[in-house]
Amino acid sequence: MKIETYPPTPSPEVEGEKNRNMKNKATAGLGWSTLISMLVSLFMVFEWVPTEEDQGIVQRIFYFHVPCAWVAFAAFGIVAIAGVFYLWLKDQIWDDLGYAAAEIGMVFCTLVLITGSIWAKPIWGTWWTWDSRLTTTFILWLLYGGYLMLRAMADDTPEVARFGAVIGIVAALDVPVVILSVRLWRTIHPAVLVTRAGEHGLEDPRMVITLLVSLAAFTVLFGWLLMLRFQQLRTRSRLFTIRREVALIEAAAQDY
Amino acid sequence: MAAFAAILRKDLRLEIRSGQSTIALFALSLLIMVVLVFALNPQPVDRARDAAAALWVALVFAGMLGATRAMIAENENGCMRALTLSPIDPAALYAAKLAAAFAFMAIVEVAAVVLITLFFNLDFGGDLARLTPSLMLGTLGFAALATLLAAISSRTRAGDLLLPILAIPLFIPAIIAGVKASEAALSGFPLAAASQWLGILVAFDVLFVTLGALLFEHVIRED
Amino acid sequence: MARLVVETRALTKTFGVTPVLREVGIQIHDGRCALLIGGNGSGKSTLLRILAGLSQPTSGDAIVFGENSRNLNVAGRRRIGMLTHQSWLYPNLTARENLAFYAELYGLADQNDLATKWIESVRLGASANDRVREFSRGMEQRLSIARAMMTEPDLLLLDEPFAALDPDAVAIVGDLIRTAVARGCAALLTAHSQLDLGIEMDRYQIASGRVMPLRDETRAPHRSRMGA
Repeated sequence: MKIETYPPTPSPEVEGEKNRNMKNKATAGLGWSTLISMLVSLFMVFEWVPTEEDQGIVQRIFYFHVPCAWVAFAAFGIVAIAGVFYLWLKDQIWDDLGYAAAEIGMVFCTLVLITGSIWAKPIWGTWWTWDSRLTTTFILWLLYGGYLMLRAMADDTPEVARFGAVIGIVAALDVPVVILSVRLWRTIHPAVLVTRAGEHGLEDPRMVITLLVSLAAFTVLFGWLLMLRFQQLRTRSRLFTIRREVALIEAAAQDY
Repeated sequence: MAAFAAILRKDLRLEIRSGQSTIALFALSLLIMVVLVFALNPQPVDRARDAAAALWVALVFAGMLGATRAMIAENENGCMRALTLSPIDPAALYAAKLAAAFAFMAIVEVAAVVLITLFFNLDFGGDLARLTPSLMLGTLGFAALATLLAAISSRTRAGDLLLPILAIPLFIPAIIAGVKASEAALSGFPLAAASQWLGILVAFDVLFVTLGALLFEHVIRED
Repeated sequence: MARLVVETRALTKTFGVTPVLREVGIQIHDGRCALLIGGNGSGKSTLLRILAGLSQPTSGDAIVFGENSRNLNVAGRRRIGMLTHQSWLYPNLTARENLAFYAELYGLADQNDLATKWIESVRLGASANDRVREFSRGMEQRLSIARAMMTEPDLLLLDEPFAALDPDAVAIVGDLIRTAVARGCAALLTAHSQLDLGIEMDRYQIASGRVMPLRDETRAPHRSRMGA
């Protein structure tokens, strides 16, 4: 009868030259892609795309606001998926990915709220409004905050990665319910709004193209930042494994 | 199944023995509502809305404290480890803890409902009966959420601060739906009028009870 | 032919980067009693927790009832009785209520009778209806041992069972352990120093995270007979 056993302590990865090079190349590649796509996007947003009639120049913030929102939500999905893999495979690499995604996602989520606020002021005369999208994003921001607070406060417990994974999963599955409830809440009492150039308001095809380019640029930016942070966390985890290995060897040396 | 009943009965018995925590919880709900009465200064025209708000604020905050206390009691002599070692399915353990939390919250809430009827000059009768579904669904959802989260926060430093930080954002959809449904009930509308809100509450409950049952074993496991 | 109940293979545990158990390899067969001797903080309790599946090894494996301790299933857990430094008793319940609860939790019948029987076997009959919060340390220890043994486990993990016990209690507990081992239970006891239960024991010493077998007669500077 075969008894299931686990592999012995992995020896600290002595990174082959080849592996390191590949990772650095990938990161560099993402960095350059970000620079180029951002430059293109900035040009399009500020020079190329026509000004929207109703809202004027301020409307251009939309081309940053929407991609940030897309990234914020996508990052949250990554946190959850990484959490599932961590609970399933128990490999630290998934926790590093999830934590990195949460940190970066929080940044972009904050940007959504800030850009939304900057947009709201000239259009509606108020810094904040409880329309359904902003409210949902704000709740997402709170969920991110909870995850990061957990990581900060539980950093001395060995189960922190496990707790993070559970919270990430729970929060991500809560988001659809949040969207549903907030939307219903707002249809009953709609905030006084002008329709934003969001869903159907993009008359000029150039606007659509600009939006798509901007989405791509921000996605690449997110990928690059995520890669950087993820590598940092990986290094930290590997360092921990090495230190543990050293401690075991030192203890063994004392045996003699 | 026997194990589930054993744990539930044990928790209820323990709670009756150290009766002060349920009473304290009730006192706390009372005081929260007193604060809200003075803060909201309710006018008759708004009473349904204000009463619903007060009820749900009290539910959330009292529930949070209740959940923390339940977990602390289990950690006291290492009993949680005994339960983890015992031949009970983690999902069944979760269900038992959830049932106990729900029972405590429900008791406190019955008292709270009596209070809001007095404070906000509502009518005893049909309105309160219509209030029951949203209240019970909300309590179940919160109990499900808090049981799972308290298992995490009780093992974290400053856990009693962490629990609300985690729980409240997650509970928001239920707050939105629950307050709306409660308000409708207290305004005299039939239940069907609040069906969408109740639907959201049901969805929330199904989601969190399922998640709790699936994830509880990961949360109680020690590394 | 004695069956292997517990086997550890290169079991290693670190707390953070601090090693606590290093490449521990022990075997416990059914009907045998093993004794693990070590000082405070030597890792005895950690090892027991890992065997019960309450803690996870950093590397290596603990095989209990043929299963890896990381995935101990319900059937396996049912067969383990454990005593730790914490009593696992509810202070606001009486002794009888505590044991009856655990009996019900483990699916045993006639919970009250069983509880009474075991309470009396550790000579706590007079306090059966008193709340555990009123118990002395020694009484709590005895009750906790009763709790561990009540389910007639096939593996007993007892962390310092004789600590805080007076000589009479020591004799009683020694008796209970001997009885359990005689009916085929595998037992692992920990202690600060050598002890003698009047039966043959596999003796180990734990120090600096390593577990070494001890020869019975050679080193026994502090030996106390446990009422054979």
